[in-house]
Amino acid sequence: MLATLIQKELKAIILSPKFPATFAVCSLLILLSTFMGIMEYRNDMAQYETARELTQQELRSTTSWGHIKTKVYRIPEVMQIFVSGVNYDIGRWSAIDDDQGVELRHSAYSDDPVFAVFRFVDFAFVVQFVLTLFALLFTFNAVNGEREDGTLKLILSNSVPRAQYLLAKGIGAWLGLVVPIGIPILLSLLMLPLFGIPTDADTWLKIASLMGISLILFSFFIVLGVLVSTITRRSNISFLMSLVVWILAVMIIPRGGVMAAGTIIRVPREAEIKAQQDAFERQNWHDYYNSSANLWTLDKPDDGGELTDEELWALIARQDSARAEIEAEINQHEVRLREELRRRKRAQERLAFVLSRFSPVSAYQLAAMTLAETDIETKARYEDAMSDFRSAFVSYGKKKAAETGDIGGVQIALSIDDDGNQNMQISSDRNTGELDLEGIPEFQRPSTDNAAIIGEIAVDGGIIGFLTIMAFAGAFVAFLKYDVR
Amino acid sequence: MLKVIINKEIRDLLGSTKFAIIFGVCALLIIATFYVAGTRYKINQSYHEASVTENLRRYEGVTDWFDVQDSRVILPPSPLACLVTGVSNDIGRSILVSGIGELTAEGSRYNEDPLFAIFRFLDLEYVFGVILSLLAILLCYNSISGEKEQGTLRLTFAQPISRSTYILGKILGSFIALSASILVAIAVGCLVFIIMGIPMTDDQWLRLILIIIVGLLYFGAFMSLSVFLSALTSRSANSLLLLLVVWICAVLIVPRVSVLAAGRTVEVPSVDAIANEKATFRAQTRQEFIDAMTHFNPDKYEESADKALMTFMDSLQKERENRVSEFAGRLNENRRNRQQVQHRLALALARISPTASMSLSMSQLAGTDVDMSRDFMEQALTYQKKFASFCEAKTGVVASGFRVIRQVEGEELPEEKPLDVSEIPVFEHHEMATAAVVDAAIPDIGLLVIYNLLFFVGAFVAFLKYDLR
Repeated sequence: MLATLIQKELKAIILSPKFPATFAVCSLLILLSTFMGIMEYRNDMAQYETARELTQQELRSTTSWGHIKTKVYRIPEVMQIFVSGVNYDIGRWSAIDDDQGVELRHSAYSDDPVFAVFRFVDFAFVVQFVLTLFALLFTFNAVNGEREDGTLKLILSNSVPRAQYLLAKGIGAWLGLVVPIGIPILLSLLMLPLFGIPTDADTWLKIASLMGISLILFSFFIVLGVLVSTITRRSNISFLMSLVVWILAVMIIPRGGVMAAGTIIRVPREAEIKAQQDAFERQNWHDYYNSSANLWTLDKPDDGGELTDEELWALIARQDSARAEIEAEINQHEVRLREELRRRKRAQERLAFVLSRFSPVSAYQLAAMTLAETDIETKARYEDAMSDFRSAFVSYGKKKAAETGDIGGVQIALSIDDDGNQNMQISSDRNTGELDLEGIPEFQRPSTDNAAIIGEIAVDGGIIGFLTIMAFAGAFVAFLKYDVR
Repeated sequence: MLKVIINKEIRDLLGSTKFAIIFGVCALLIIATFYVAGTRYKINQSYHEASVTENLRRYEGVTDWFDVQDSRVILPPSPLACLVTGVSNDIGRSILVSGIGELTAEGSRYNEDPLFAIFRFLDLEYVFGVILSLLAILLCYNSISGEKEQGTLRLTFAQPISRSTYILGKILGSFIALSASILVAIAVGCLVFIIMGIPMTDDQWLRLILIIIVGLLYFGAFMSLSVFLSALTSRSANSLLLLLVVWICAVLIVPRVSVLAAGRTVEVPSVDAIANEKATFRAQTRQEFIDAMTHFNPDKYEESADKALMTFMDSLQKERENRVSEFAGRLNENRRNRQQVQHRLALALARISPTASMSLSMSQLAGTDVDMSRDFMEQALTYQKKFASFCEAKTGVVASGFRVIRQVEGEELPEEKPLDVSEIPVFEHHEMATAAVVDAAIPDIGLLVIYNLLFFVGAFVAFLKYDLR
């Protein structure tokens, strides 16, 4: 009996006039979004490769090891094809420099604001906005529509238990919607090897998890439609109700949660932090210049003669170590400031996510972003990795400078002899050849723990799955008491 | 007769439960939008003030104008930008200006707080573009086919009513009823704004009114589209499905896809390549600069050697910076031109959807369109000149970075007095003149009017041929 009912439900969905239209739209959108994602990924990858090439070239043409600096770029992820997340909103690169902390800057959107006007369309977007809507569109009148047509009475006049009937409804609707959607999804996955996107086992695992969690969300909305149709008697009321729920879940709660958290927990602006840091730096350097000016006058030999070479070198060494000390202090200050900022931000984020997770759609979005590594942690993750790289890079540069004895820069000596004649010498002993970049540290993509990621999204998947089961149980209870007349 | 039909339509709409529920949600949203914009504005304003004070505070206790080498220019928040965010959160909002050299804007809000980038903000553009257009569809998808299904259509035409009067009455009636309700919600929203004490100039109110008119035009376009499609189909279920598909395409898909597609067909030189060329050029000039430096001869100057060196270095540095910025300017100009071609193509394609026209004209009116960053940069350049002349007046040199401290034994250092930092010129951001903004928005507004007319005429023609049975 169950099989017959499921079959009937399947036929009802697939043969309904709305099926071809929605199926076509969904397939088109899924394929189109993947295609655009692939194009963007290739574009990003090409841009990344050129940028890296150019920085290498720039580095090679530097003529001195003294104060060497470079830039490192964020590396595009294959998964951004499906979930762009905050990829285009956060900075693309950071300067790696001895006197400057690591900071991702210049987001793709700030470089090309035209792409920010309507933002991006990706697979996760299609799932959240389009698939959920269509799921509701097919199931909002699952039960009360049959009542209105009179077929519900007819079916239940046979020896069909209500439980079986509802189960068949659910399963039939699920199969009728999920299987057709599976076709464009598989086709879109085929596009990856077709366009030569490098994929490894890890990526496929992530894609599979993404598809899995997308299906759970889709199932939730299918069941939600069934639930709404069992608690209302007229299909136009249930339609309205499911649309209102959809608007709330997709468009209002996610934004509302984040904005509420933004208002409740204040976080200092980056500019404030920077200004504080600037002030600290300025003060320290000011002190340094004053004290080093004193150094030169105080250490003059008592007899009024000139300093010997050794004394001069000792003086320079002392000045250098003072300089290094101040640099370390400034760095530490910045680290402290940033840590504090990050702590506050974390608190804000936690609250925002708790609030917006009231909607399964935002739980889905957050899980998808985590999976694609385009979540808000990306910035912190990259900045940490870049900080590590910075210390390696800077110490390498220092080591090289010490080895080659090449500190770069320009030496200016100004002296006035007893007769008041001014004498000035400017020299820059610089090698003009290219640097030998053998063994220079290379920036690596920050490593992420795949097991941890899957564990994290399992929580979100679990929440949505739980909600789905609850919705189905609700529909079950409501239907047991349903007045079929 | 027309009046009677309009009257009936208004009553029909306002009396339905459907209207009560949907409108309730929308009204709450509109008011929430104003409230959220107000709070965001206040938060941004406090951040802005803090940053401006910090900018000056870092010079507190500084005793020498030589130490004042740069000043941070920050784009102030505007209440309109909070109501219609446009790209205002995507562009860099802070520029470090020193007397000379190229400027770059940094620190976009979304880069600083990616949290808000995930779901973005609630603003008027979103409410009109996504939610109110859906409302228009839900309330009007069955305006013709529904009456047919109920049998009231035949009843109506048993009276001496011409079809054209009927359809005109239908559309006008729905539009009046719905826009009046939206206007009430917006009026409450404005009241919230006033109560929150958000400072709005008369000009800004005028722009807000224009923004709302654009929103209503867009709403009207979706409404007449719904009537049009409902007059094309005989069953209301079909018209709803058709409308939802059109809605998804117009609101969610066409604008995004066309911008992405058009954007990638026009090659714009990448920022990285340009940055690299600039850096290479700068490295080249550095070598020449150092070579030129070795030619310094203090005897040629009347001043003492240290002063002479400073003026010499300043002029050298200035020359170098001018060359570099000329070179960079050429590259930037080239990129800007390409970008403009890209914008034009991308946005022209996007305008196939009324949603794109609406959001483009709204952001233009709010001053948050794609040209926002260029406008900010131009104002920062003006400020740079002011700042440079200020520095020159104070220290005699601009190009800075270089300084000779001359200390003669036995001579006391001059007494150090803290500077009066309020002397540093203050950056004032000017909004674009309303007339210019309106001029720029007019093509899009015209397009919206055309969409309205087009759908209206479509509804009219379709209804003339409609099978009433």
